[in-house]
Amino acid sequence: MALPVALNGFGVKALAGNSTLVQSLLASNAPATDRILVIVYMNGGNDGLNTVIPVDQWTQYNALRTNIAIPQSKILSLTGNDATGLHPAMGGMRDLYNDGKLSIIQSVSYPSPDQSHYRSTDIWMTGEDTTANYETGWAGRYLEDRYPGYPTGYPNAQMEDPLAIQIGYLTSTTLLGSQQSMGIAISDPNSFYSLVGAASSISPDYLPCNSTCDAADLISFIRKQQALSVGYATEIKRAYDLGVTSATYPAAGTNSLADQLKIVAQLIHGGLKTKIYFVSLGGFDTHSSQVDTDVTLGGHATLLGKLSAGIKVFQDDLTLQGTADKVVGMTFSEFGRRANSNNSKGTDHGVAAPMFVFGSNIKHPTIGTNPDLISLVASTNTNKDIPMQIDFRRVYTDILNDWFGAGVPKTNSLLFRSSLNALDFPTVSLFSDTVETLKTGDWADRTVWSVGRKPLATEFVRVNAGHTVTVGAPATVRNIKLDGTIKFTGPYNLKVTG
Amino acid sequence: MPYLDLYTDQLTPRTAAHLLRRATFGPTQAEIGAFSVPGQTATTAVQTLITNVNYSPTQPVDLNSSRTTTAGLPYLQNATTPAGEYLPYVGANNGDYRTYIKYWWLNLMIQPGPANLLDKLTLFWQNHFVTTAETVNDHRFVWSYLQLLRTNALGSFRTLVTQISKEPAMLKYLNGDMNESGVGKANENYARELQELFTVGAFDVDGNKNYTEDDVKNAARVLTGWKYSNYTKEASTSFATTFTSTKHDTGSKTFSDKYAYKSITSPATAPPGFANVGDYELSELVTMLLNHSQTSRFICRKLYRWYVNPNVTAAIETNVIIPLAALFVSSGYQIQPVIEKLLTSRIFFDEVNIGAIVKSPAEFVVGLYRFYELAVPVITPSVTTTVTPVKATLEHLYGKMRDQQLEILEQPTVFGYEPYYQTGYSKLWANTGTIVLRNDLANRLVDSYTVYQGPLLNLNPLGRITALQPDFSGFAATPTTAAPSPAPTTAAVTCVQVLDSFLLNLLATDLDQDQKNFLIDKIMMGNQAPRTTWEFEWNLYRRTITYPSFYSSSAITNAKNAVNIRLKNLMKYLLRLAEYQIM
Repeated sequence: MALPVALNGFGVKALAGNSTLVQSLLASNAPATDRILVIVYMNGGNDGLNTVIPVDQWTQYNALRTNIAIPQSKILSLTGNDATGLHPAMGGMRDLYNDGKLSIIQSVSYPSPDQSHYRSTDIWMTGEDTTANYETGWAGRYLEDRYPGYPTGYPNAQMEDPLAIQIGYLTSTTLLGSQQSMGIAISDPNSFYSLVGAASSISPDYLPCNSTCDAADLISFIRKQQALSVGYATEIKRAYDLGVTSATYPAAGTNSLADQLKIVAQLIHGGLKTKIYFVSLGGFDTHSSQVDTDVTLGGHATLLGKLSAGIKVFQDDLTLQGTADKVVGMTFSEFGRRANSNNSKGTDHGVAAPMFVFGSNIKHPTIGTNPDLISLVASTNTNKDIPMQIDFRRVYTDILNDWFGAGVPKTNSLLFRSSLNALDFPTVSLFSDTVETLKTGDWADRTVWSVGRKPLATEFVRVNAGHTVTVGAPATVRNIKLDGTIKFTGPYNLKVTG
Repeated sequence: MPYLDLYTDQLTPRTAAHLLRRATFGPTQAEIGAFSVPGQTATTAVQTLITNVNYSPTQPVDLNSSRTTTAGLPYLQNATTPAGEYLPYVGANNGDYRTYIKYWWLNLMIQPGPANLLDKLTLFWQNHFVTTAETVNDHRFVWSYLQLLRTNALGSFRTLVTQISKEPAMLKYLNGDMNESGVGKANENYARELQELFTVGAFDVDGNKNYTEDDVKNAARVLTGWKYSNYTKEASTSFATTFTSTKHDTGSKTFSDKYAYKSITSPATAPPGFANVGDYELSELVTMLLNHSQTSRFICRKLYRWYVNPNVTAAIETNVIIPLAALFVSSGYQIQPVIEKLLTSRIFFDEVNIGAIVKSPAEFVVGLYRFYELAVPVITPSVTTTVTPVKATLEHLYGKMRDQQLEILEQPTVFGYEPYYQTGYSKLWANTGTIVLRNDLANRLVDSYTVYQGPLLNLNPLGRITALQPDFSGFAATPTTAAPSPAPTTAAVTCVQVLDSFLLNLLATDLDQDQKNFLIDKIMMGNQAPRTTWEFEWNLYRRTITYPSFYSSSAITNAKNAVNIRLKNLMKYLLRLAEYQIM
């Protein structure tokens, strides 16, 4: 039976309505229209288990991958999270976590996972179901919806800058719209400008074969690329010249991710209005020799070191520039790797792995829980694949709906879903202080909660309308708002610390 | 539409150029001429491209001039090296030697010899069975791998799949050498890519998976026990693939319904005809992979995308891919009949497929050098050869292609270069970043450009138009102060003739009259001067060259600059045209 909740003098009802305590959704001061997303692609399938390490199950972790396991004493500990640690090369990201600027999202994947690099990369970049086969990227679709008709008529007075920029020479599927990439690729803003040169006259727009053949399509496509390169070169150069980087980056050429993020930081500081940046770091396909004789070193440690140092210096730079409030970053990799290592000091293709989201606006340092290695060890399956806890499209949902303010129906449709009122891929509360219920169930059931774990004593909680949460043990939260119902199975206290 | 029927028409310069652009890295004017003389058909032309193949060109030589005793000499094998052996391995030179193999291959793409289709096809197979020089590291492994692909490019696909599975470079690149029997000792990397990328493909056209995860595991078990010897071993003179039976999984391997539940068992001893049990099981595995109904289609589809059009419609699948795949199977997986069929088919020459591919950086860069016959120094194996200009030129070409995202023998992933598999296909070669690099290279070559320590590279528009002018130095009289502008005996080449000569066989598709007028009036004449101004300037230039003593040096310079700037602007603009980026 449902008991009335009035605890420690805080009536739940008092917290309803316009209470500032619970009105902390979207706490960023930056208007949604000015916000920027930085996507970091870890190419090759990152070994998540040596990245974010379940120290609470170190014995099982070590048993699964004796030849590559990081010694307990070397794992970097995290403030407020005794169960989890980071690879020793990730000091920078540890600092961001402890500062509340890094969110670890545990065991991210999708239903019916595919272990082909190509296919799984495509699924992550398009945001499609395993059974579907779309040819547009999730971020490309968002930009196409926001800037209809691109590239015809662009740049223009409303949007004089590129919609998206990929640092490099090829543009990712992530940025593909229905006709072409919504982004442009540049390797170095200075040389880009000097190579493009001054705008030249545009030749007549004749197309061969009455515009009916592939050649006509290609010519028209290339002409648009040429026009865009000319059209954007000046704006990019202006922003790059105006912008400065304030943090100390690694020496050029020593950390390719940091090099790319430095360009991004300088463009952001220079006022470029570009909404999405795409950078990448390759080499994560560690089938062999991912560690040296000293297992804290080796190929994977080097990559994680670059990732960590690159993201840390970038975030520091944004803070120094005063632009941190309008930027959020996320990492992704096409899949994780198996929990059990192979005999070559490497790991084969697996399923789920952690994602990182970084920025000053993230609200929960950990989403989800450590993978359950005890069950994996006990399992008779020789493939020790880490199962999914969080669908990656829930992270995309928060970015689209909360960060870019796309709204519920549009967010759903951008991810090939159709509900008008409820998110089809539920929130993970990336940008919201409040942990909310996703369904009816036990308080202890992690799948009941948007953050994929029980609420912490420091977190605000909302039981959504229509949901009943059953409390079977004492619990503590910062505060709770009840649009639904709470049931107690015994004389347990739900403590609210205010 | 008659898809795979033989294209029987006499080849014209246009259709000959189309064939050469697709089957090679781009034609010279002379080759277009030779391939379109009366009597040349698709069949004769393709036979010529095959007959001209040279399977044993001169080997790579040491291009480092500071190694005075070996510069200019072959470093892999020489006249006294026993068959199957190599010169002693020198680790300190390995990085250079690896690079020079890439340069050697690039040099073959430029084809100092007669036009042939081998290296374009070898690049197809290298981008299919990817390994990268950087990861493989030992230059002899890289060489052996490239030789396997080049020698068998037109041969048997069964041989390619079988041999590549044991090739040291591939064992190294996809960790086959680490794949052993025993709990936790499997390495599935190669077994997966063998199916997904090299033979059956991940999905059929309806999106069904062509194999299961268990098939990956079982293929890995079949492939256990292969190793290689003498990897980067100092002073070693040979290396080999080895089979270690104690590391081989001798259990039986049963595959899924995708492979008709094929079971591969491990005999106690190698059956007749097989060197060892591993060879026998590999043969069984390859037979199973080739018996999969999707393998021949997967390869033929990829060849169609490479040679004809990346856009494969349902009609193309039905009328081209499926019958071509049937030919592939019925010919016992021989590659040459498939290539011949495809390159002589009516669909290949169909108007809709001309210009349907964006040139890759290889086709753009090598094609540019070939079309204008820029001087690439020739490697002649001799210690006295000056290697530096050869090295400098190939380094320059290699760098330009790398910057445009095609680094020879260094694919970014095992999938190959992105534009050959990723949505968008060849369009991916052309974006805001790479287009400006293409423009930049063309600009430099038009302006004349000296590669550091290398040759002067110059598309030389002025020289080309000078050669076009009949009786360049013919004038009615010598200029005098009284009559400073004697009339030429031949009319000046006109703007239209200049443009037409620059456009000869340059583009895959046509331009309309508006574009041609634009090119002359807006680009060549700078939107300022009438076309007759060109003729006046050109005749003045002819006089200054013919009678230099009559003019001041500045007058001579001015006359040359006046015409040269117009010709350079026109040629630069032509090479920037979107039309020039496609083939």
